[in-house]
Order: sequence, then structure tokens, then C-alpha cells
Amino acid sequence: MTMASSDVKNGEKYMLSAKGADFSQVLKRYDIDLQQVATPEQMAKKMLPKDEVFKKVAEEVLYMRFKTVGPVVMEALKQRNPLDVINNGLVAGMEVVAKLYAEHVYYLPEIMMAAKTMEIGIALAEKQVPGGRETKGTVLMHAAEGDPHDIGKNIAAVMVRSSGYTVVDMGRDVPIVDFVAKAVELKPLFVSGTALMTTTMSVFPTEAKLLQEKGLNMPFMGCGGAVNREYANSYDLGIYSEKAPQTPVIADKIRAGYDWKKVREEWDNIIGGA
Amino acid sequence: MSVTRYTKMTYDCADDMVFGQAKHPVSYGFGLKIGAGRVIPEINYAPRPGTEKDPEKLRREYVDYISKDILNRAVTAGFPDVQLETEWVSQMNQEKLCVPVVAGQKAICEKYHEEYGVNCGTRQTIPDQREADNGLRPGMDSLHAYPEKMFQCAEFACENGADNLSIESVGGKELSDYAVTNGDIVAFLFGVGYLGSIDMTYIWQEFANIAKKNRCVAGGDTNCAGANTSMFMAGGFLDNDVQKTFSAVTRAIASARTLAAWESGAAGPDKDCGYEGIICKAIAGKPTAQEGKNCQCAHCDLQGNLIAQCCDLWSNESVEYHPEFGGSSVQCWFGSLGYECALMNTATQLKQEKTLRDLYMYTDRTRGPEGYVLAYDHAYEIGQAIAANGNDLYLRSRAAGLKAAEIIINGYKSKELGLTNKQLDVINDIYKKISALPEDTDKFVEYAAKEYQDVPNFNLKNYGL
Repeated sequence: MTMASSDVKNGEKYMLSAKGADFSQVLKRYDIDLQQVATPEQMAKKMLPKDEVFKKVAEEVLYMRFKTVGPVVMEALKQRNPLDVINNGLVAGMEVVAKLYAEHVYYLPEIMMAAKTMEIGIALAEKQVPGGRETKGTVLMHAAEGDPHDIGKNIAAVMVRSSGYTVVDMGRDVPIVDFVAKAVELKPLFVSGTALMTTTMSVFPTEAKLLQEKGLNMPFMGCGGAVNREYANSYDLGIYSEKAPQTPVIADKIRAGYDWKKVREEWDNIIGGA
Repeated sequence: MSVTRYTKMTYDCADDMVFGQAKHPVSYGFGLKIGAGRVIPEINYAPRPGTEKDPEKLRREYVDYISKDILNRAVTAGFPDVQLETEWVSQMNQEKLCVPVVAGQKAICEKYHEEYGVNCGTRQTIPDQREADNGLRPGMDSLHAYPEKMFQCAEFACENGADNLSIESVGGKELSDYAVTNGDIVAFLFGVGYLGSIDMTYIWQEFANIAKKNRCVAGGDTNCAGANTSMFMAGGFLDNDVQKTFSAVTRAIASARTLAAWESGAAGPDKDCGYEGIICKAIAGKPTAQEGKNCQCAHCDLQGNLIAQCCDLWSNESVEYHPEFGGSSVQCWFGSLGYECALMNTATQLKQEKTLRDLYMYTDRTRGPEGYVLAYDHAYEIGQAIAANGNDLYLRSRAAGLKAAEIIINGYKSKELGLTNKQLDVINDIYKKISALPEDTDKFVEYAAKEYQDVPNFNLKNYGL
């Protein structure tokens, strides 16, 4: 062990000597032992689109080039129709990013920057889609009334948006009445609420009940540090998402016709791959 | 309250730091002496959902159930000291909800002290609900008036029996959220190291005045909203959303911010979830609260033993009140804390405290970069870097971040600390980026304000700039 200068007192090393100690008997660095050695370039090679135009667009997303994605998309739009540029270029690039994230080659910052890059590109391409682009559905998100913690929700919003949904994010500390009114107005595919405190997550059953009273029966996803599966399943409409990457996977099932009861029943199978 | 920045170390060397002893101990409550020779267990709890809806239910939950359970267990198991920590739920920003709890806890502590001789007291941790988009300073938030409510909560707490006033303040959070999710260390340095320190200096002068007026002790703060979020997202070996070399550097930067409470009139101990407390203690000599292996009820981390190395209060972070086989949850986790403190205090009595300190430290020293920078010898070095630049909030944060990066890189080069390829890439990048920053505060602020102008909710007016 190398001793730092502050380890010396009156000319003597003071710290208990670790000479000869074998710390592999104490701890195991699984992160080092199991790290993915392949580079993003190596892993993405087989996943990128074959079409050169789409591939170039997808690479902008894959390598998070948010400063140059604009010109590349504009160039692609001269050669391909805008919906294809979105789906086969930008979204395809994001799908590769998601796979790299699942394989622990990419991490959260890469997801965030790639999503930002994709959204810049989509905003440009969408302008050329007659009548606007249809997304997979609308998702309404909020952090519970009285709860200022929203970083998890923000990450989930990026992941859901990156999966092709329109996200209406009401922010944090959202009053119950405002949330219910927005749900009535939008009639989204599903709604989500996040809470970090046990005393703020208690608004979820109230909100779910109010939604039912308004005739809305879409799933109500309960998430956040204080929330667990048992709690989210304790009130009608309630379903659970433990981590942000699970949310788009569950969303796809709801889009495929799963109601809140079926999501609960199939939850283990649904999130198995997330 | 005036502000006095630390420009030199209170401890002469790292070896002088040990658990249970601080250069400047603090006394409060009914016989509690923090940092005066014994490590004291601090138990924190969350009420069951629904109890917040009625003042009497909430009082009963906190006082008749939670506090009584804990104090009973102290007597049952023979623990001489206990500090209760009540982290206010958001609804307690109303007088009718908070006052009965604070007064009730004071009364039950007094009862157990008189009847059984238990040394006890309460830390009241008030909520910081301020939102950057609505304004962090009084007069700015026309929607909720959260800044005004925060100071009002401090008054409610101190006037009704708090022994220690604390908070987990959120200044700089809008930038730290951005920094952590985007892996941007400069944004963290700007948000937490510079702006967060300005905010803490502002609020803690006022808290110290309120506490002094009511003969309460102003305790301290933590960068829960920044460095803890970073560490939580870095997680364990199965997580890594944030790289642990990144979270380790955010912790060092956060120490320059957390220190600001003590520079602005607070006496300590600081908050348990501030893992940066070891660095602050090295600089200021004030007692620190820490949490680790006995807070598994709240979260897992990679320095469960190490972080006990120099603590003065030893906490469980928080546990929801519910039944367990061994009693209520607070009794079980208090028991776990109490016996750990008994071990530390026995080590002190047998003059083996430095040996136990080093054993704690070694078990986690190389478990990851976060523990590595917080090992007391490295923490001391980071403290020196801060104190050498103590009068400048930016330069000292920059120095803390740079020193932490150096420590990690040197640890890797010497083969003492293992890193994944990604962790190594990130720490090299961090070192490069922080090194490249200007050594002139005005130039940095001008640069950062422009660079991060589009970060959601960022507003220099929140910091009086």
C-alpha cells in the first residue's frame, strides 16, 4: 500500500499496517470482474441500419452528436421521407442505445444525451410530416403533491419518450385536483405518480379513486423510493414500476391491451427483460 | 450571525481523528454530549402512511409509539444515550401538525431522563420544500411561499423544544440534478460547490439566529439532494447508472458546501446522510453524524463499515414504523445501532479506538472509489485542499474535486484501488475538465452562467446574484 503524506505523524506511519493482507478474502469487485469489454462501436456494428442514409442518422444518436444531428437529419430528409428518417434513423439509433444500456456499455448520461440528440432530430423531421406525427400514445406523469423529488420521474420520462410515446410531464408537488383534471382532459394510455416519502405516496389511492369516479380506468403506475409493489397494488388501478427502464416495457404491454389487473398478474413476466 | 470561513485545519493530522471524539463537542437535550468521548446512536423513522392526515394521529405516531418504543428499548437493552431524529414530513410545515410532535418528543425525553437516567434529545430536521422555478428566497415564491415556510418551520421547531435544528437544504439542486443525469462534473461544481454554498451561507445565518434565540443548537446540513442522489444512482455493483468515480468526486465537492453551515453559526453535529461529514470534521473539528452498515433498512452502499471510522453520532438513516419479529422497526434498528456504538465505546475504553477505526476503514477502503476518497487519510487531504482555498467558495470546491480525482487516479496507478475501464475513463475526464477550469472565480461564474443557462429552473436570482 502506498501511504499518503498525511499518514505520517512525527515521522512515523500511523495507520494499521495492511502489509500481507489479502483483501480478496474481504470483498469482491464484481463490477471489475464482470465488466463488458466490448466498445460501443464493436457492439453497435451489427445493430445499426443497413441503409447508409438511415445509418448515418442513427449514428448521430448513438454517438450523442447533438450539435451535428440537425444538418445530418436535414440532409437525410432530402433523400428519404420524414417518417422513415424518424423511425428508421433516429428511433433506430435510440434502440441501439437502449441495447447498449442494457448490456452495461452505456449508462445513464449516454441515455440522456442520446435522447436529447434524437429529440432534436425528431423536431426537425416532424415539421415535414403532413398532419404531424402519431406517437404510440400519451402518458401523463407527475410527482405527488407535497413531494419535491422528481429526478426519477424525469429519467423515466426521457425513457418513455425515447420509446415513442408522448409524455405530458406535470412536474413535482402537483396538486391532486390539477392532476385529475389533466387526466380527464387527456385521457392518456396510463398515468404515473412518483413519491420519495411514505406520507406523500398516500395521495395515489386518492387520485386513483377520483379517476375512477370520473369514469377513467387506465392503469395508475406508482413509482419512487418510498413506493413498493405491494403498496402500488393495494388500490384499484394501481400498478408498479420499480426502475425507470421498466416503464416503457410496461407501457408497450398497456398499449397492446393489458389493463391494470393483467399488468399486475403478468408483472414478473413483463419486467423480466427490463 | 457572522460568517467565518475555515482557512486552516482544526486537526493537526488525520491520525488525530477518531470516532466519538471531536475537537469541539456539543451538549444539548437531557444529558447528551456529542463528540465528547462516546459515539451516540441516532435513530430516525418515518410515520406510517395516512397518519399525516390528522394532527392527533401524527402526534400519537411520533410520540406515543415511535419515541416511547425507542426510549423503552434503550432501557431494556442498557443503552446509555440516544438521539431521536424527526425528519419532518412535508405536511408538518403547518403549526398544528408540527408543534404537538416537537413538544411531545421533548416531554417524553424529559420523562425518560428523569425516570431512568437515559441521556436523550431530539434533532428536528425541518423540510426544505423550496423550488428553484418558483424562487429560493423569501418574496420570490408567490405560489407556495416555501422559503418563508422553511424559516417559519425553524421557529416552530426551536420554540417548542427542538434540541438540535437541522435541514437537508436543496440549494443548487436544479444544477445537480442536471449534472448527475448528464455526467457533467462542472455543472455539479457550479451548482453545489458554488451556488449551493452561497445558499447555505444565507439560510444558515438565519437558522443560527433562530436557534440561538431559543437556546437550541444549530446542528448542520448535508448535500442529500446532490451527492447522495449521485451515490444512490451509482448504487452497488449491479447498478452503475452513474459512475462511482463521478459520485466520489461529487462527494468531495459537496463537503465544501456542507461546511458552510458550520461557518455560518451552526455547531454540529451535521446530518447523518452527509457522507462528506468526515471531510468537514477534519477541517472544523465539529462532531459529525454518519450512517452505514446499520442503515440497511434505508439503502445499501459500499462503505458500510468505513464510514463509521470517525463518527460521533451513528444513524440508521430512516425506517418506516412497522412491526418486526424483534419488536417495532425502530426498536430493532435502534438495537442494531446501540450495539455498534457499544462496540466503538468499548474500543475507546480499552484504548483500542484507533485500531477499530482502521479496521472499519480497511474493510471498505478498496470496495469502490467512493469509500476510497472518504477513508480518513484521504478525507483529511481533501480537507486540506479546501482549507487552503477556504475564503473562496468556488476555488475551494474546485480544489476538493481536483484532489479527490487525484487521489482516485493515484490509487489506481499504485494498484491499491481497482477501477473498471469506464470508471477510469470518467475520472480521467473529470480531472481534465476540472483542471481546465479558470482559477479566477468571476471568470468561472461568467462562463458557467452562460454554459448552463438552459438548464431547467436555473436562475441566478435564487442566489442573490
